[in-house]
Amino acid sequence: MLELAIGIILGCCALGAGAAMIAGIGPGIGEGNAVAAACEAIGRQPESKGDVTSTMLMGCAVAETTGLYALVIAILLIFVAPNLLVDILLKAVGK
Amino acid sequence: MQKWFRDIDPTVKKESLYIAAVTGILSLFLQAGFLIARHWDHTVLLGNLLGAVTAAGNFFLMAITVQKAVTREKKPAADLMKFSQTMRLLMQVVVAVLGFVLPCFNGYAVIIPLFFPRIAVMIRPFLDKKKQ
Repeated sequence: MLELAIGIILGCCALGAGAAMIAGIGPGIGEGNAVAAACEAIGRQPESKGDVTSTMLMGCAVAETTGLYALVIAILLIFVAPNLLVDILLKAVGK
Repeated sequence: MQKWFRDIDPTVKKESLYIAAVTGILSLFLQAGFLIARHWDHTVLLGNLLGAVTAAGNFFLMAITVQKAVTREKKPAADLMKFSQTMRLLMQVVVAVLGFVLPCFNGYAVIIPLFFPRIAVMIRPFLDKKKQ
């Protein structure tokens, strides 16, 4: 029974990590749309290329953070949470 | 190599340098934080180096991609950006996993510097205001 409980904990952590990484798709789509809009803006006003690129870079850096949050949660779920949860379980059953 | 460096847009160079500089400064603060918390050892230094280089490198790669993308049509530009983001996220996943798996790195010291470019962007308006 204890092995089953540990297995469920590990399985749920892995599933959670996988689900968290779905958030990694979002920044890619967002950055793609932003760059497409920037292309249009530069096409209309080529002299503003420097300003548009600079603003784009800062915007992309902000957008990327969402993916990083997901990455951190996934990493913690894989490397930190299983040990913590198994320890809690073992303490609860008195082993 | 020199020609490749010359082809880089001055805006890309300027912004990448800014991000690298702020990442370096924040890394010093991170080291100080670990020292004060009495958790400092060589793994923290190595982990911080790995994380900071990855964060600055990730921004530089993104900037190079943006530079290339803005010269294309809308659809290919968006596709290039999506592909680049996926590859860079994968690179960061590999680095984070290495940080936690290899004993020579402190996992937390690898992960935290990945957020430094975000902080650099956040403090940018205040620095610009000071300059003005």
